[in-house]
Amino acid sequence: MRKSDVLIVGGGLIGCATAWYLAREGAKVTLLDSGDFGMGASGQNAGSLHFQLERRFLENGDALAEQAARIAALSRLAISDWSSLEADLATDLHITMNGGLMVAETAEECALLERKITRENAEGLQTRMIDGDEARQIAPYLSEAICAAGYSPDEGHADARLVTHAIAIAAAKDGTVLRPRCRVQSIEKAGRKYVISTAEEQFAASQILIACGAWTAHVAAMLNLHIPLFPVGLLMNATERVAQAVPHLVQHVGRRLSMKQTHSGNLLIGGGWPSRMALDAEGRFALYRPPAVIESSLRDNLRVAIDVAPMIATISLIRSWTGITAISADQLPIVGEIPAMPGCWVAGGGSAFTLGPTFARLIAQSMSGKKREELEIVAPSRFSHLNSFMGQ
Amino acid sequence: MTNHSDVAIIGGGPAGQAAALTLDDLKLKTVVIDEQPRAGGQILRQPPRSFQIPAWMEDRTYAPLVKLLRRFEAQTSINWIGSHSVIGLRRRPDGLFTLTLCSPDGLRLVTAARVLIAAGCQDLAVPLPGWTLPGVYSAGGMQALLKAQRIVPGGHIVLAGTHPLQLLIAAQIVEAGGSVAAVLFSQPRGTMLKAGIRNGLRALDQLSAAFPAIRALATLRSHGVKVLYDAPIQAICGTDRVAAAQHPGGEIACDAVGLCYGFVSQSSLPRMMSAKMRKAGPAGGWATLCDEWMQSSIPGLYVAGETTGIAGANAAMASGKIAGFGIAAELGAISQDEAARRVSRHRANHRSLLRFARLLDEIADPRPFFPALRDDTLVCRCEEVALAQIDPVLDGRSANAVKLVTRCGMGLCQGRNCEPTLLRLLDNPNDPGFTARFPARPVAIGDLAT
Ligand SMILES: Cc1cc2nc3c(=O)[nH]c(=O)nc-3n(C[C@@H](O)[C@@H](O)[C@H](O)COP(=O)(O)OP(=O)(O)OC[C@H]3O[C@@H](n4cnc5c(N)ncnc54)[C@H](O)[C@@H]3O)c2cc1C
Ligand SMILES: Cc1cc2nc3c(=O)[nH]c(=O)nc-3n(C[C@H](O)[C@H](O)[C@H](O)COP(=O)(O)OP(=O)(O)OC[C@H]3O[C@@H](n4cnc5c(N)ncnc54)[C@H](O)[C@@H]3O)c2cc1C
Repeated sequence: MRKSDVLIVGGGLIGCATAWYLAREGAKVTLLDSGDFGMGASGQNAGSLHFQLERRFLENGDALAEQAARIAALSRLAISDWSSLEADLATDLHITMNGGLMVAETAEECALLERKITRENAEGLQTRMIDGDEARQIAPYLSEAICAAGYSPDEGHADARLVTHAIAIAAAKDGTVLRPRCRVQSIEKAGRKYVISTAEEQFAASQILIACGAWTAHVAAMLNLHIPLFPVGLLMNATERVAQAVPHLVQHVGRRLSMKQTHSGNLLIGGGWPSRMALDAEGRFALYRPPAVIESSLRDNLRVAIDVAPMIATISLIRSWTGITAISADQLPIVGEIPAMPGCWVAGGGSAFTLGPTFARLIAQSMSGKKREELEIVAPSRFSHLNSFMGQ
Repeated sequence: MTNHSDVAIIGGGPAGQAAALTLDDLKLKTVVIDEQPRAGGQILRQPPRSFQIPAWMEDRTYAPLVKLLRRFEAQTSINWIGSHSVIGLRRRPDGLFTLTLCSPDGLRLVTAARVLIAAGCQDLAVPLPGWTLPGVYSAGGMQALLKAQRIVPGGHIVLAGTHPLQLLIAAQIVEAGGSVAAVLFSQPRGTMLKAGIRNGLRALDQLSAAFPAIRALATLRSHGVKVLYDAPIQAICGTDRVAAAQHPGGEIACDAVGLCYGFVSQSSLPRMMSAKMRKAGPAGGWATLCDEWMQSSIPGLYVAGETTGIAGANAAMASGKIAGFGIAAELGAISQDEAARRVSRHRANHRSLLRFARLLDEIADPRPFFPALRDDTLVCRCEEVALAQIDPVLDGRSANAVKLVTRCGMGLCQGRNCEPTLLRLLDNPNDPGFTARFPARPVAIGDLAT
């Protein structure tokens, strides 16, 4: 039996970064993943660093938007975490924070932008409203049809291909024991310790973190717990490499779009369009199979991109890929200790690329006894009722 | 514009033609789609209509294939869609298939009750120091130029690799007026002969298939072309273009090099459909698994020709016929018994051709002879990823994981060229390779958005 201070199940961005922050402070950490590190959502995502309120929070009514605005406090921390990440890791992760535009095409969308920005400013985020002409001055590739944009000076993107991998290497350098390709098969609570079994080994620690993204509910089930994180299949598109022309993150307030240009020159086009998840023999979502492209998602996603930046029409698509991420019952991430199960932490859901390093840092601090209030709005305790009849 | 057929065939090579003629005979509405303007496939790559080559493919080995092609082209009831790539394929919940076709004129959808993928194969790309210099070709690329346009690369040519096909290509080059400096076989002649004798007994009935190679040797001898054995090419030298080919016995000055290590099946469409695949053979690559009627693991999706493993043009033709009867029986155009009766001859022929293919596989087996790579040798040409970038992450992780951190396989060719090399470097027999993704060929965003 291998003993550690903390066992982390799931080597996505959250798991790897938590291991790194803990190990830097001298904790003995073991990090397990059923596959290679960073091959779940953390290696499939769009790499957007978005700090403006997300469109998905705006499209389901004012009450939800109000609640979501509280996530802005976490976004403020994320801005500073991403600003220092490359220096801390001494690695080039192609992080650019040249600003982001959330564009509007209609009067209605402009009004929505205005409400959004008022809310963000109240939360201390530095977004501002700019008109179409100013938007085109900043971003000449934008269409004449854009009548306004929310501008955030801090937004940008990072290379999702590299970030998790680099952090895993850093965590190992600081002493984390890495166990790639070791699927956790069971978790048991034995007194105050948790014992984790894989096909070949057993591990024990008094604290564990479940950071399994879309698989979190399956892994929590090993402890007879409910964690209401649901798998979501999404679509991403990459163009051929073209000369650098889009230095910003571009989003749309009324339609699904995220667009950016990678360091290598590919334009990445996404924005939360669904893909169709495969089903297993029992008719449940098959999380290890790539979801299928839905033609209408593909067409409509590319349509928005062209409407926003017409020059895209003549560029070639070289690849559409699909990935699975997790969304919670109330759309907010779930991050913190599970009240019914002291020592068992969970983190996942939402835009956990942007917020991943921040979640990881706050969990690492909280696990070491320095409780971080910023995590309160995302605490698992809001779902405690689901576990009133559960547990060991 | 959507149109519906009973059967859609992807690929107008011998396999696709044979299947189409069988289906058309049985009155099934059949469409054949190919990204080349004219039918023929790899083996009979046709010159453009405006460009007549005297005595094109008149060699008698090609006669049955040329006959098939002429019949196919004369059959006006078969709907031919040339110059269109199939970039996507989907099986709908109602069991029908939708194919997405792309051409310079935009996208087009075709639906069909059954689909046959007969997409052929391509040269195995084999990296070695200097392989990205201008003047280096795949032997197949060289032959395609020769067949379709009678273009012979200028200057002296070296052909190098392990596949006996390079003898034929060299002979075709000298016959077309080109100059071949040498043909280099990596393997010793003894190894080839031993494999030939060991397996030749199993493939006696197909030994005539070896005649073209024997004839090619005679042609080369009469033109004074050196054929060297046990002369593995190690590097291609030159500063801004090819100047010489290097092997342990020395350097051979030349202006172009054609590399010939064998062929790998086109597998992007079946893999996109999640059809069950198998390792194709010594050259690498993936063949689609199928039943005795050439149906893949996906109901209604059939495969024939090199898509099911490299076996040559005659085997492709035979398997196309089997697939044609299988599909026709499934669609009720012919009874099962009748289909079984009519394929039995083609099955026997196919089996014996497969035995010959295994013989060729063994003779041409490139595995012991892959050239050593240097740190700066590019493994992935599209994304310019060198061995030095890949080497540090060869730690047991998957091909997909290596692709993610190095970009090896992320380029325009969707990893078709570098995947075999990467899998070889990874040396994990259970690695399924890169996840196949839409689209099979690059396509303009504007075309997809309407
Ligand atoms: C360079 C080269 C030389 C060869 N020489 C010989 C030889 O001398 N003797 C021999 O027996 N075999 C040879 N082969 C092997 C082989 O190609 C032939 O056996 C024969 O052509 C196989 O027939 P097929 O119908 O399976 O495929 P092919 O003849 O290759 O036909 C496949 C067709 O599918 C089309 N296609 C593929 N993908 C798509 C797509 N996504 N959308 C639209 N169209 C598509 C291609 O354009 C092609 O025309 C050679 C192969 C190569 C690559
Ligand atoms: C297409 C797409 C685009 C996205 N775009 C963005 C974006 O632009 N910006 C943004 O902020 N967010 C984006 N997201 C969301 C973001 O990617 C995720 O929120 C984030 O990466 C989640 O990281 P994670 O560590 O929680 O989970 P993951 O990266 O999914 O990691 C979970 C890990 O757990 C492992 N695991 C599962 N079961 C077990 C087991 N039994 N034993 C051991 N290990 C196990 C898995 O193998 C996996 O590696 C996107 C997501 C997708 C899919």
